[in-house]
Amino acid sequence: MRRGGAVSALPAASAEDMPERPTAYQFLLRDKRAIVGMAVLGLIVISTVCASFISPYDPLSQEFDILQPPSPVHPLGTDDLGRDLFTRILYGARVSLFVGVVTVTISMMLGVAMGILAGYYGGWIDIFFMRYIDLQWAFPNFIIAVYLVAVFGTGLANVIVAISLAFLDDFARITRGMVLSIREEEYVLAARSIGASGPVIMLRHILPNAIAPIIVQATLSVSFAILAEAGLSFLGLGVKASTPTWGLIISDARSFFTRAWWLGIYPGLAIMITVLSINFLGDALRDVLDVRND
Amino acid sequence: MRYFVARVIQALIVVWAVGTLVFFMLRAVPGDPIQALLADVDPSAADAIRAKLGLDQPVFVQYLFWMRNTLAGDLGQSLYGSHQAVSQQIAEAIPRTVSLALVAFLFSFTLGLTAGIVSAVKRDSILDYGLNLAAFLGISMPSFWIGIVLIIVFAVNLRMFPAIGYKPISAGLDQWLRYLILPGLAVGLPFSASIARLTRSAMLEVLGQDYITLARSKGLNERRVIFRHALRNALIPVVTVMGISLALLFSGSVVVENVFAIKGLGRVLIQSILNRDYPVVQGSILLVAVLLVFMNLAVDMLYRLIDPRISYD
Amino acid sequence: MNRHLRRIIASLSPQQKAQIEEERRRAYDFDPRDPLFGLSTDELSGPQLSRRSFLRLVAASGGTLSMSHLLGAAGIVLPQAARAAAQSGGHLICGWAGTAEITTLDPAVINAVLQFQVASNVLSGLTHINADLVAEGDLATDWSVSEDGLVWTFNLRQGVTWHNGDAFSAADVVYTYNRSKNPENSIHYGNLINVLDVVALDDLTVQLTLARPQASLLVKTLERSSGRAMTIVNGNAIESLGLQEYGLKPIGTGPFRVTEHQLGQGVVLERFDDYYDPARPVLDKVTIIPIPEIEPLAAAIETGDIHLIGGNAVAAELIDRFLGNPDLVVDEIAGNGFQSVFVNPWREPMQVDDFNPSVDELKQQNGFKVRLALAKAFDRERFIQRALFGRGVPGFGTINPAMGFYFDTAINETSEQRFDVEAAQALLADAGFPNGEGFPTLKLLTTPAGRRAAEVMVDIYRNNLNINLELDVKDFTVLIEDAFRMEYDLMALGSGGDFDPDDGLVDWMQTSSRFNGPNRNDDDLVEKFGERPFGSFSDAYVDELIDQQAVTADPEARKVLVQEANQITSDKVASIFTHHLTEILVHRAEVTYPAESRIVGLRDLDRASIG
Repeated sequence: MRRGGAVSALPAASAEDMPERPTAYQFLLRDKRAIVGMAVLGLIVISTVCASFISPYDPLSQEFDILQPPSPVHPLGTDDLGRDLFTRILYGARVSLFVGVVTVTISMMLGVAMGILAGYYGGWIDIFFMRYIDLQWAFPNFIIAVYLVAVFGTGLANVIVAISLAFLDDFARITRGMVLSIREEEYVLAARSIGASGPVIMLRHILPNAIAPIIVQATLSVSFAILAEAGLSFLGLGVKASTPTWGLIISDARSFFTRAWWLGIYPGLAIMITVLSINFLGDALRDVLDVRND
Repeated sequence: MRYFVARVIQALIVVWAVGTLVFFMLRAVPGDPIQALLADVDPSAADAIRAKLGLDQPVFVQYLFWMRNTLAGDLGQSLYGSHQAVSQQIAEAIPRTVSLALVAFLFSFTLGLTAGIVSAVKRDSILDYGLNLAAFLGISMPSFWIGIVLIIVFAVNLRMFPAIGYKPISAGLDQWLRYLILPGLAVGLPFSASIARLTRSAMLEVLGQDYITLARSKGLNERRVIFRHALRNALIPVVTVMGISLALLFSGSVVVENVFAIKGLGRVLIQSILNRDYPVVQGSILLVAVLLVFMNLAVDMLYRLIDPRISYD
Repeated sequence: MNRHLRRIIASLSPQQKAQIEEERRRAYDFDPRDPLFGLSTDELSGPQLSRRSFLRLVAASGGTLSMSHLLGAAGIVLPQAARAAAQSGGHLICGWAGTAEITTLDPAVINAVLQFQVASNVLSGLTHINADLVAEGDLATDWSVSEDGLVWTFNLRQGVTWHNGDAFSAADVVYTYNRSKNPENSIHYGNLINVLDVVALDDLTVQLTLARPQASLLVKTLERSSGRAMTIVNGNAIESLGLQEYGLKPIGTGPFRVTEHQLGQGVVLERFDDYYDPARPVLDKVTIIPIPEIEPLAAAIETGDIHLIGGNAVAAELIDRFLGNPDLVVDEIAGNGFQSVFVNPWREPMQVDDFNPSVDELKQQNGFKVRLALAKAFDRERFIQRALFGRGVPGFGTINPAMGFYFDTAINETSEQRFDVEAAQALLADAGFPNGEGFPTLKLLTTPAGRRAAEVMVDIYRNNLNINLELDVKDFTVLIEDAFRMEYDLMALGSGGDFDPDDGLVDWMQTSSRFNGPNRNDDDLVEKFGERPFGSFSDAYVDELIDQQAVTADPEARKVLVQEANQITSDKVASIFTHHLTEILVHRAEVTYPAESRIVGLRDLDRASIG
């Protein structure tokens, strides 16, 4: 749910309460969703990193007969250009995960910076950033990504920028809300009274205490970003390199679905399993870090 | 009342800002549609066409023209074909998108509410786990992929529903619905998963409240407790989600309209982006902005009217 | 290719062989002696016409065109097979492939084949090409031309009525000319640059004055569908309906009138009872539904929801599936366009500053060696199999096989570009890149729609020359800017709807051609690279040949000039010519689509019937 309202942490833990963290990890390791999510994700990451050891084939080489159904030689069949589908999905994970992680990293860094600045300094900075965020808030993220690709054009870099900007407002809102509630806490006031500079206070004292909801949001955003990339690719607004992304594999295979069901089903399953594990993990994190939707 | 006026003004400013941003950003885009339009014919005719469409003017002058025309309700005309008016194209598209959103809305709320309630009532049962997993699956699938799978299964193999297209409601309610069931499901399923999860947690929270325990202890039958007492209160957060749900359903239909070849707003938007048909891109983005902003506003207002705890400041 | 052909021929019965031999022999006899300057071509449209498109193809197939698709052996049903006595009446439902809407039917702004396919059923021209790409009278009955080839006098058909009841007259022709020659009204005004004036001598006679003699006048300029500049429109209707409405429901003099047209939903055509030929149209009603997606289109024709496919080319991957379906008729003929990969002569390592030296001299230059290596390493057979599922013909020039008479059937044997991997590897090594080592990664510019085919190309070059190409996919609007500014390494670009040699040669192969990097000397580019005298190719002798052929009235003489120009542009690698698409008509077996309506690229439904 994109618009479930701002996510916030309860209670606002103080910087001195740092021993809370190991407990969170322990909790996480006891949560079945988290275990399943992490295990599957780990497996996906390891297999895509070791793709060349797992598959003997080249994802780009068109050396086989086209549209072969799944068989021991080609476990997921071959595509319309005679490439091994399993290998393509394996290598495609790199790009899809890369897009997911990079976009969220960018949008988190920008959004958090915006949120902290706005929340800490208030005044015109706050007004300026928040007006922008409000503007963006009026639209679903995917629509914003579509707008931005319309303007920037297609291609890997542009898609990354578009999706990053589209998710920016979520992070900015959450961070600002957190900062507003922490700003007047005693330990912040104390730090300020002993003369700590603004940046020091923001990075040392405020950020660590606002991090929990940001982590949850980031985790869930990765899954949204992967879905957004797939959607853009499907609409013809996405990545167009020869290196496949999952969205592109599905999009390219559209006209072969009835003749070769495996071309449509397997890449879709790959997306689903990945996103599902991330959602599991994100959900568990939310519970463990005690972040909830107001 | 002052608050209301302020919010309307704010909303108008948002719409203006979006329109202006899009206007200037689009003009910074590489690719000249006129050149492409004439590629197979005669590149040198481009100047004449540009002049005719006012595209030879400085950008700022174009902007002023655009503002004036937009205020007068004239969104310009398509660069292509018979230069159909953008407003007409959008007017034709709106009923299709609204129909799709409506069907998707019905699907997502019936499915989502039912699953959520059942899940909460049968908490920790196999059914609950199953529904939970299904809900997780629902939000993890790309909607276009759901659409494609639905087409392959129900249209191509079972021949139960048409694979693509749209019939207006004037062609008969049954025809209208027949064409909208598959796309409606594709848009609605992911959303119903969210609704189910929301309903479940709201129900669980309410079921844990004192007054429910009290009601139960008074010996009221379980069905009555759930439907009369728990559900009514649990529905409050769900109902608030309904308002913003249209925005999300719209965002889902942008993709799904393209799977099912329904020429709604989403398809108009994407087609015009791919063709770099500026006036249509601009017009449809502006219209979408107006729709979303004022929908948000309406929901906000309603919410404030319903819930007296929220003050007007 | 020849081996393939021979194998097929070997598998035939003696009777079949004799028949083919006979038809092949007669095919040349049937080649219109006077394809363009036939003046009155009525004698050519005799009773044999229905077989001629078939025969012409056999003729064309001598060298490059696989004959398999003409023979029952390959399972393709020929149009004749479906022939039955035409039944009048009936409602034909057509799916228009690859489009979400038919944006306009106003010839002044039509810019896609899928639009003029519809318009050709509604509007008329002075002439209309037949299945052999020979112009026949449409609204003109006959014509004469002055000795110097500059003044053309057309007698117009009597008793022609517009769909709104107006009477057609010479004034309509003059109106159309005045409308179309103005760039503000028509994007096709360029087609009329050579036409200085059109005057009405009386109600049913018009006279055209040309600046220079023009061999392609009847086929290119006056043709009703492909030409568009002189597709006759009704001034009163444009005035009263407005441009937008006229664009949707134009008033014409054609066999069908548009009764409904909603963008995105479709077009409904109804029989025009006062059409000048009382025998046509056969059908009462035609509904045209745009179907953008491949799968739904296939499902629609298989279930019988639609009867015939028009619009953009049917996706090649569907054809085998259709061929296996006894309810469907699949008719494949040579297409009228060329596809190619342009190689930027301004960039290393394929730089060539001057194409005027002879081929042997050019072969001494490393830049040319690279170009030739790229052309020779391109395995057209594999490309056609993989990228087009076999639905194409290897290409070696801009002249396409649908122009049967002008098409050089031996060019696959004579062109320097003929496929030879070893020679290509040797050339590349010679140019300093043994086994592709040190060869830079070139970018191959293409459109989203062309990406799949481009991926096949990349694979071919990787295998045959051990070089890597990187795809650079840009929307057509952006690509065409790069093309005009000569900002690419390699670029996949081609042409469609070419009915006359001018469409290939004049538009693409001359120094002044409109696709020859017309914006290469934009200010910012001149600053960077200096003035560049041409874009992708320039050869003074070729320019002369093309100028000559454009004004040569005698088809035999013109053919010699066309083929020589084509040969040189092929040998000097003006572009890597890759293939010609085939044109495939798919309809249900209950539809009769006579061969005389089988005009490449068009869907003329005036003789079609259903029953």
